[in-house]
Amino acid sequence: MPSAIVIVGPEIQELKSSAPLREVSPKLSLAAAQLQQGTSLACVEVLGRSVVGRLIEELRCAGVEKISLFADATVEPLNVAVVDPSGNTALCSTENPWSAAALKLIEYKEAKETGDNPTLVMRVGAYIEFELTDLLQFHREQNQVATRAFDDHQGPLDLWVVDATRLTRAEDLLNVLRATNPARYWVRGYVNRLEHAKDLRRLVVDGLSSRCRLRPQGSEARPGVWMDDGAQVHRDARVVAPAYIGRGTRIAAQCLVTRGSSVESDCQVDYGTVVEDSSILSNSYVGIGLDLSHSVVDGNNLLNLERNVTLEIADPCVIRQNRISRKEKNRQSPIVFGLPAVQFARAEEGSH
Amino acid sequence: MLTSGPIVVMQLPEQLNAREVRTFMQELEPLLDSHRPRIVFDCSQVRYMDGAGVEMMLHCLEEAMKRDGDLKLAALSPESEVVLELMRVARVFEAFTTSDDAVRSFNALPVDGSTQSAPWYSNFFGELGALKQVS
Repeated sequence: MPSAIVIVGPEIQELKSSAPLREVSPKLSLAAAQLQQGTSLACVEVLGRSVVGRLIEELRCAGVEKISLFADATVEPLNVAVVDPSGNTALCSTENPWSAAALKLIEYKEAKETGDNPTLVMRVGAYIEFELTDLLQFHREQNQVATRAFDDHQGPLDLWVVDATRLTRAEDLLNVLRATNPARYWVRGYVNRLEHAKDLRRLVVDGLSSRCRLRPQGSEARPGVWMDDGAQVHRDARVVAPAYIGRGTRIAAQCLVTRGSSVESDCQVDYGTVVEDSSILSNSYVGIGLDLSHSVVDGNNLLNLERNVTLEIADPCVIRQNRISRKEKNRQSPIVFGLPAVQFARAEEGSH
Repeated sequence: MLTSGPIVVMQLPEQLNAREVRTFMQELEPLLDSHRPRIVFDCSQVRYMDGAGVEMMLHCLEEAMKRDGDLKLAALSPESEVVLELMRVARVFEAFTTSDDAVRSFNALPVDGSTQSAPWYSNFFGELGALKQVS
């Protein structure tokens, strides 16, 4: 069976021979720095599970047994137990995941662990639906060192099939991946590049409306309304399909969640708030009596997609990171928010 | 006959927080006490807004309306618009792109002046008069 090397890090085109990829501001949160370096939103929970987690699950289902995950050490470390609960995925955290991946591939080859089977090399970035057997068949027919996947609309994707047996040094792999004339495999399935929060919203809506294979976690409580384990919706709240309520999330009375909205795990939407065409990322609290539309909320950050505006909300009564999660671990924002935008702080007492 | 004072355009401070609101309100209070206050808040300089800022806007609108006046907003930044929408108060205010547009809106006549100036009962009395003549 083929093996797979999955990279969580920047694009290969940005690699310099020796220097680090980009200077990262120490003021940025780790995960924000990760995104600034080019890692996409694939590590963010979408309808209950991250794209990278879903990818590894699909590879396992397709029969790929040996999966090695290389993550950029300069950013927040991946929780491999979350990504692959089976515990069979090897995670290596390194400053240069591409070089480490190349060395690993040569190691495999020399130890003859992969046999004659090609290796799937992919960077976690876009959400791609492809048939692995079809891709491998195409690669065999082309008889080239590498085959790269392409998308009809926007060109190359960070997905390759490589013949490790035809490589001698680690640098060869990097050169092969950077080559401008590989065999081109055109992906016929759904592709979402996940480059912007708008893409994240599109993936949520497409998943909820079955335009792609991405399925919400949990069960369908009513047609089009998905609820994960431990989700609580007050009987006086209304959830209009399609919508997703994540694991352990609470929706208070008189709330309305509608128009393809998703409220990810461990969130709280408080009394009377309307969530319309929006995504609330995991561990977020949304306060009382608000109108949230066309937005992505993460902790105390709000990104309005309609106006392309980012806000840092200073008033914890409005939006904030959910208190539950604070006890659990020091979680960082997965989305880069423009700072500082207009801030919204709690009114000081006795202002009038 | 009702009379109105001039339309006043007020520039909101860059930091619309509790302290700035207090200073701003001292300037604004006499105006709000006048008959039919017609006020435009120019929000072009606002970079920071907190709950006190939103409360102040609502308070001014309420006071203006009590005295048969109105408060309109102009040059709202997209960020301010998002905050007002999030707090469910955006729909309460009339908002304009520029202060000039907001000022003009106070003086604007109805689109069809003739229809509006003739009261609904004029046709009825007109017809009644015609019937009397006939009889």
